Amino acid sequence: MAETLLWVLPLVPTVTALLMLTTRDRRILSAIDVGGSAVLLALTLVLAREVATGGPRAFGVLRVDDLGLVFLLLLVVLTLAVSIYTVGWLKQALAVGNMKAELLRSYFSLVHAFVATMVVTILADNLGVLWIAMEGTTITSAVLIGYHGHHHGLEAAWKYIIVTTIGISFGLFGTVLIYAAAAAAGLQGGAGALSWSAIMKVAPTLDSGIVRIGFVFVMVGYGTKAGLAPMHLWLPDAHSQAPTPVSALLSGVLIKCALLGIIRFQTIAGAACGRAFPEQVLLVFGLTSVVVATPFILAQHDIKRLLGYHSVEHVGIVALGLGFGGRIGTYAALLHVVNHGITKALAFFAAGKAIARYGSRDMRVIRGLLTVAPVGATLLMLAALSLAGVPPFSIFVSELMVLRAGIGQGHWVAIAIFLAMVVIIFAGLLHHAGSMAFGQPTAAATREPESWSPLLGMMLLAAIMILLGLTIPAPLDGLLRRAMEIVVG
Amino acid sequence: MSSATVHTIIDDLGALLLFTMILIVAASQIYRAIYAVAAQSLFIAIAGGVLATATGNVDLWVIAGITLAVKAMVLPWVLHRVVQRMNVRREVEPVIPIAATLALTVVIVVVSFQLSASLGPVRQAITGNALPVGIALTLTGVLVMATRKTALTQMVGLFASENGIFFTAMAVTQGMPLIIEIGVILDVILAALVMTIMVLRVRSTVDADIADLDRLRG
Repeated sequence: MAETLLWVLPLVPTVTALLMLTTRDRRILSAIDVGGSAVLLALTLVLAREVATGGPRAFGVLRVDDLGLVFLLLLVVLTLAVSIYTVGWLKQALAVGNMKAELLRSYFSLVHAFVATMVVTILADNLGVLWIAMEGTTITSAVLIGYHGHHHGLEAAWKYIIVTTIGISFGLFGTVLIYAAAAAAGLQGGAGALSWSAIMKVAPTLDSGIVRIGFVFVMVGYGTKAGLAPMHLWLPDAHSQAPTPVSALLSGVLIKCALLGIIRFQTIAGAACGRAFPEQVLLVFGLTSVVVATPFILAQHDIKRLLGYHSVEHVGIVALGLGFGGRIGTYAALLHVVNHGITKALAFFAAGKAIARYGSRDMRVIRGLLTVAPVGATLLMLAALSLAGVPPFSIFVSELMVLRAGIGQGHWVAIAIFLAMVVIIFAGLLHHAGSMAFGQPTAAATREPESWSPLLGMMLLAAIMILLGLTIPAPLDGLLRRAMEIVVG
Repeated sequence: MSSATVHTIIDDLGALLLFTMILIVAASQIYRAIYAVAAQSLFIAIAGGVLATATGNVDLWVIAGITLAVKAMVLPWVLHRVVQRMNVRREVEPVIPIAATLALTVVIVVVSFQLSASLGPVRQAITGNALPVGIALTLTGVLVMATRKTALTQMVGLFASENGIFFTAMAVTQGMPLIIEIGVILDVILAALVMTIMVLRVRSTVDADIADLDRLRG
């Protein structure tokens, strides 16, 4: 059963994408969109049950374990939320001419093809397949980023495809080096020698010199895709120019998929040359990301760019958690992946609605949102508070755990820098959010009532966000613990 | 073929690959860069053939064949067509002087050999000097992508970079699994296709070259 599900799962979005090509009607397209995402979510839940009771399963080059499940669940929940949000968003985008009706079906198909490549990325056991799927996400999402077809969108798309393709070729080189190390250690069997689970069995015998160089290459490669500084150059552009639902997927899931790739290699490197080496590398990249993102967050006027830089910061925090290591640090990093994915998607949704209302992404124009769109503004405030790390929201919990892990390991300098940056970003973000929500609405704002489907998509995410802040449900806690055990070993 | 002969041939091909890479870096006209990267892919295909004969690994013949057809012929031809169709007014447009990039290339090559020399066991896993040459090609390809403004030169840099990875992957004694190599080549083709479409689309919708796209800052 679970084995069958493994290969059915990537097929679901693929079939959905193909179905989309058969019609041009917006209503039917939206129905297929929501339906496909709901099926994907349902099947993933079944798979999660199977894995919780029967342990990891493998089918050919695909494999699912608890670590992959954390990311897979995040992906399918966000995909469903995006689908629901898109229904109303699309109506509005068509009305103002941001999207063209005749191009709709290719838009929907690409979104689901993008989801399919991400599913394969998460389920890949073979490190070669992981790379191929990762490059597949670049190709599908690059077209989506430039979808609006204007000057800025195309520039962002070009920058994205060039920077991430450069980056990812480093990832391939690193993969080849790890493969060479595995081959030298006597791992036989063609494609089997690239299998993560097979390599993990012989990992302690791998030559540490090659693995070190390989890990650094992979770190730079997949780190580019994850948006870690200083390879983050594509991220603010791509996240700000893409259509809002795509921004949510990019920020919520795609960069997390790249992190999963890094974690897979981290476990190999940890077993081959000691845990300290990969942790140190992650720590440096994580800290750099948090520091680099801070000034840009403060000085930003474009709301979606602000959220983009914010993703750089949070990916940095995940890397910090992994870098501090140990059981707490790893658990915190995985929890932060979930928390940030949910919250950031919500923030992009709310920002997208605000932008549509004011016809501008400049935060100096967006004023008095609470007066013209009370529900949307409340959701935007909730997302901003959570992103800033205010208790009792979910990100506060995971950030605190990252901090706790750092203190436990005695990384005092890193902790000091991290805390300073988080405080600065806290102030900056609340200033931005407050000035958008309160005050007198500018004349540019439309006062039409808020449409239901975007609100529904947002409330779904907000509910999860608030729940995770108050308590971590036992099944999720168990999943995260088992996933943490896989990383810590 | 004895393993010493194979080592010599691979090392000689490696030298040729580095030479074509220098031609790409030094090219002041886009045509020359395209021809150089085509020649480079041809050498990669020959290396694949040599390694296939030496190891008796049939997969390597397939990979060599695909490399020859796709990277030495089809992709350069596509690039060539795009150059003609766009009636390129601009050539390479380096961000920093070509002489400086050449100097950086030298540094990269030296560092790559230094780095690999420090790795003992790699000698058994990868034939000859394929590892340092591969690292040098990959990094120099990235250098080309980073220091050129025009889209087509950036794509040439990408292909050169991929060539470096392929060269090393072929020389891993077992050879990479065929299915993975084919997947990688497929990805490269798709990426090249999307990039080409984007170049043409930028030209047709906003009437600009990729090099003019520099509005997103901060």
